[in-house]
Amino acid sequence: MNAPGAKPRRWRDAEGEHIDVRGLPPPQPLVEILRLVHEQGSAGSTVIVHHDRDPLMLHPELAAMGWSAERLPAGPDEVVLRLELAP
Amino acid sequence: MTPAAGAFLSGATSRLLPMSIPFRFFGAAVAFHLCAWLALLAGADRVPRFSGGPGWTLAALHLVTLGVLAMSAIGASLQLLPVATRQPVRSTRWPAAIWWLYTPGVAALALGMGRVVPGLLGAGAAAVVLALIGYTVLVAVNLRGARGMPAVVAHVWGAMGALLLTLATALALVGNYLGLSLLDHGTALSLHIALAAYGFMGLLALGLSYVLVPMFALAAAPDERQALASGVLAVVALAAAAMAALGGAPQPLRLAALALGGVAAAVHLRLMRQALRSGMRRELGRSFTLVRIGWAAMVASLAVALAMALGAGWAGAPALFGLTLVGGWLLTFLLGLLQRILPFLASMHAGQGRRRPPTPSSLSSERPLAVHFFCHLAALAGLALAIVTDNSALAAMAATVGAVGAAAFAVFFVTLIRRTRGPSKALPTRAPSGS
Repeated sequence: MNAPGAKPRRWRDAEGEHIDVRGLPPPQPLVEILRLVHEQGSAGSTVIVHHDRDPLMLHPELAAMGWSAERLPAGPDEVVLRLELAP
Repeated sequence: MTPAAGAFLSGATSRLLPMSIPFRFFGAAVAFHLCAWLALLAGADRVPRFSGGPGWTLAALHLVTLGVLAMSAIGASLQLLPVATRQPVRSTRWPAAIWWLYTPGVAALALGMGRVVPGLLGAGAAAVVLALIGYTVLVAVNLRGARGMPAVVAHVWGAMGALLLTLATALALVGNYLGLSLLDHGTALSLHIALAAYGFMGLLALGLSYVLVPMFALAAAPDERQALASGVLAVVALAAAAMAALGGAPQPLRLAALALGGVAAAVHLRLMRQALRSGMRRELGRSFTLVRIGWAAMVASLAVALAMALGAGWAGAPALFGLTLVGGWLLTFLLGLLQRILPFLASMHAGQGRRRPPTPSSLSSERPLAVHFFCHLAALAGLALAIVTDNSALAAMAATVGAVGAAAFAVFFVTLIRRTRGPSKALPTRAPSGS
């Protein structure tokens, strides 16, 4: 969990590039996720998002960038999304 | 679509009000927008020297303030406030009931003003007041459990307080028309204008901008303390303006209110400029040109008010002030944001049950928005010129151009709804491979 105003935690593993935006105030999670997606560009790396709520505003922005989101199983207080370039 | 994706989308959409709730408010606002320009055309002869009183010019003003501005504010806040407060709007019946009370209320009020039928005006005002009290309760319940974004929450609390006081002054003004003297007419009118425009609508516009502008520019959230300071200054400015209207040392208080309001506006605009400059998305198109013009008009409205307070006004000053404040700032700012937010919200709703929603741009339509842009600005410029030159014919021409712009905006809205509800294959981003 990030402190309000902090930078999101990021790391990489076999699943892809992870970003933890929990605790950040709106619209910071949206901005940080899209910044990471933008960095990935057309390389097609998978982005795993760790969030504390459903990021409703994210999906139109992702669609505009040609990406799609899928929810992965997670604990009750966490939302985990796998973001990928749409086929 | 995979089961996981389905679960995600159903979970995500559970926090969304059904599309029909916010979009009925937006739809009514679009219709009232057109009616407002037509009412202004009907009352064009009084526009250049308008300073109040029943007739079609007053009806046009209230079709904009209640029919377009407040109507859109209700729809937008019900959809966006949960993002800031992290609290869902728990009831769908309340917003629906508010719409059914409010929309005919605004129509009756405007008709009563336009045709000078005090009974109809009174009945419409009663419905509007009840509906807006219901809306205030709905928002207050949501704000009470708010977590995070204290500056946005504080602005909305301020807006709700101003709305309740606006309604009290509105009842006093309607009472005057019905022959009941509840408050001196001039005092009630001064309070009504300051509290409705700078208080309710203004604070809501400033507060929701701290969510919307960074969201569209893809920028960091503005500095919370500065945003809060701007809101507090605006509320103190309103309090000073209210005390001036009530008669306590009116000139020093009026000047203090304008100075404080000017500082609040400057801090707000600095934060907005920072967000726009630091955002990942620099090209925000025509919609943000309207937003920027709206911000310029907000400052201009304070300058016109200062000129009037210093005694530099002339017979057309009240009309120019009203045009700058309501048409230049609030309406222009709102229409700029609406043309960006409506496709965005429609995309969110259309994405229900899909892994990939349609893109906002695929739901929007460029040509009607271009027509609206030029007509809207030409109409405002024409009205300003009509006021300065005291020319009713020019005011009528400007209102006609404004009506054409409003009709184009309505085409944009209808196209958006049609595309959102249309078959999947009608949209390029809804190809089977995306699901």
